[in-house]
Amino acid sequence: MLARLAENLFWAGRYAERAEDTARLVDVTYHTLLESTEADESIAWRQVLEVLHLTGPFETSGAPLERAEVIRFLLVDGTNPGSVVSSVQRARENLRSVRELVSSELWEAANQLHLELRARDVSADLQQPYELCGVVKRGGQTITGVAAETMPRDDGWRFLSLGRMLERAEMTCRLLDVRFDAIVDQPSALGFHAWIAILKSVSAAEAFRRTYRSSMDPEHVLEFLLLAPQFPRSVLFCLQAAESYLQQVEAADRQGRARRQLGQVRSTVEFAHAGELLAAGLHGFLEDLLDGIARVSDAVADEFFRHTPAGGLHIVAAN
Amino acid sequence: MGDIFDGYETDGFFDEAVGSDGMLRDHYRRLAERLSAFDPEELQRREQLRDSIFRTQGITFTVYGDDSGVERTFPLDLIPRIISASEWGQISAGLTQRVTALNWFLEDLYAGERAAINDGIVPRWLVVSADGYRRQAFGIPAPHGARCLVAGIDLVRDGDGTYRVLEDNLRNPSGVSYVLENRAAMTRVLPVVFAEHHVRPVDHYGQSLLRALREVAPASAGEEPQVVVLTPGVYNSAYFEHAFLARQMGVELVEGRDLVVDEHVVYMRTTRGLKRVDVIYRRIDDDFLDPVVFSPDSILGVPGLVNAARAGNVTVANAFGNGVADDKAVYAYVPELIRYYLGEDPILPNVTTYVLWDDDQRAEVLDRLDELVVKPVAGSGGYGMLIGPAATADELATFRKQIQEDPRGYIAQEVVELSRHPTLIGDRLEGRHVDLRPFVITGETVEVIPGGLTRVALRKGSLVVNSSQGGGSKDTWVLEDERI
Repeated sequence: MLARLAENLFWAGRYAERAEDTARLVDVTYHTLLESTEADESIAWRQVLEVLHLTGPFETSGAPLERAEVIRFLLVDGTNPGSVVSSVQRARENLRSVRELVSSELWEAANQLHLELRARDVSADLQQPYELCGVVKRGGQTITGVAAETMPRDDGWRFLSLGRMLERAEMTCRLLDVRFDAIVDQPSALGFHAWIAILKSVSAAEAFRRTYRSSMDPEHVLEFLLLAPQFPRSVLFCLQAAESYLQQVEAADRQGRARRQLGQVRSTVEFAHAGELLAAGLHGFLEDLLDGIARVSDAVADEFFRHTPAGGLHIVAAN
Repeated sequence: MGDIFDGYETDGFFDEAVGSDGMLRDHYRRLAERLSAFDPEELQRREQLRDSIFRTQGITFTVYGDDSGVERTFPLDLIPRIISASEWGQISAGLTQRVTALNWFLEDLYAGERAAINDGIVPRWLVVSADGYRRQAFGIPAPHGARCLVAGIDLVRDGDGTYRVLEDNLRNPSGVSYVLENRAAMTRVLPVVFAEHHVRPVDHYGQSLLRALREVAPASAGEEPQVVVLTPGVYNSAYFEHAFLARQMGVELVEGRDLVVDEHVVYMRTTRGLKRVDVIYRRIDDDFLDPVVFSPDSILGVPGLVNAARAGNVTVANAFGNGVADDKAVYAYVPELIRYYLGEDPILPNVTTYVLWDDDQRAEVLDRLDELVVKPVAGSGGYGMLIGPAATADELATFRKQIQEDPRGYIAQEVVELSRHPTLIGDRLEGRHVDLRPFVITGETVEVIPGGLTRVALRKGSLVVNSSQGGGSKDTWVLEDERI
């Protein structure tokens, strides 16, 4: 397919997922902090900004590091390119460019979320973001669901899904990075609620309980969110899915740099051990993972979206 | 006459459906009969059905310079225009003749010996000063001489009912998507009426266009030429049509940034690498097509495209520089070009036209400015025209001054009292002025698509049919035979 259209779909997938996952991250942070001191809270929000690489832009905005301000910045600030409204808008713009390729329902789902966010009075949401986060989550799930039900399983679908899966893997890593170490050190009663909140934020609470029953061992939570091969928001699941989409969009006779790099990242995760990671410190591992995924994304762009004659890339023979 | 025509007045104009004797023309009888059987609610219901069809399909166009709504639907009048088989035979022959001669002229000018100029049929200075003339097109031959692969020829009918050519559109004529969409909608809104009329189909347009595009592929293309449609992008007013045509033909819709030229070969960037392109049906104007040889600041085009065409590695349709032949000043010479190249008398006459660089003609025109229509030679879309009888003293003075300063820049024409057609206004019929843009495809052979786009000036008394200025359209039914 045309490289430009594939790129639009890839980014539509990424931005829609980013919007949804940013809302999930805000939601879980807000809820695990309800009983914290003000000092803890501002540390936590700073961490959120850091894992999203948005510390600089937030400081530039001049807003004080307070809950309502960070929530505004992350959810509804149109000048923040990483905010939920910006991500939704970019997902919509990318879908608009490929309207010929996708169902009108898919375009409408993205457009509707965009319009709903623009029309919404957010003053109450900044104090209590639960409802707004719910709107974004449902909107994101609608986009994903409509895409799954209306798109033919061709390369367009694969690039959309590849973008979504890489983004989701990244965002789950970020979620673990920002909240995990803080909660591990908490007394167990408080910790229990925090773990539930984390699991709920990725819609994993029920699935987790079915797997581990009543245990709320941090090692199990980490194992589930990082390594559960059947859970669709675990890092391993996302990387495996991305790998399979990548394999399908490649020409039959070659394995490109993107898939090689993705395979390396995936096997690092696949053969990791939750207990060892906790003992050694999670942060470094997650950072390496995020770097690896970013390299995969760059390699995808080089390999599929940016062909130039000077690049020495091969020319496809006529049909 | 049935109810629906009660009180219908032709007001002295040539009417497509009603003769000067006040009687329905033969080929409109059945339509009138059927429409009269509908009560007003039924007609209204069908109009609503039409609206919902267009809205759901998002059939819209953009009006430049209007900030309010970016996209509007193009109003389709429920009453079709009907053309009898014999009448269409004449029109079709006239169009084939005219487009053939225009292609000969273009190929002669850009890739031949410029015989028409050397033999004094068209003045050299007139050709080289034409706005659409492109010296960059020299020496690029078109396979089968099909420089103008798609032409849209605007026809009007004067007070006697004579079809005349108002203007030729040989660059990027648009509107054919409306022809197809109008037809699709009408077969759902008035299915029985349509079926009874034995109307010639138009929905093979995509196949005909693809066939012609493949026929003009360079020899290097082999058996399966790769054809693409090149669009300026989603913000272009005709993007809907570009996407529509690509879909109809089953080929890629590309933008300039999707194409790259290497060693005079054009490729498109796909996810699996660069894929060679053989034929480009471009819907980007010359000036924006290749920054290397045309407007250097354009980001819409493809650097190196013209030289790739010159090298014979790709065919670009329509060819570069066709604007020279639909220049409104060169228009005045088309009847002579037909005689010159084909040795035939023109079947479709021009509208009587005055060229303003001729001192005598200019003097007469300035004398009668309030009776004539003045058009800028390079314009299109009905912008920048003077309609003498409707103009204010200020407008007349402005045009008088402009003509004197730039006589090459304008032509004048006798006012053509465009024919009128019964049109549904509210729940009754009123006469509204119409024109007709048939589409002519040239590959190895010339094919005229039956009918074309009938545009209607919906404002009472208005002669301006352009969609950008309050025009609507009608489905155009060419009858298969004389049974009706």
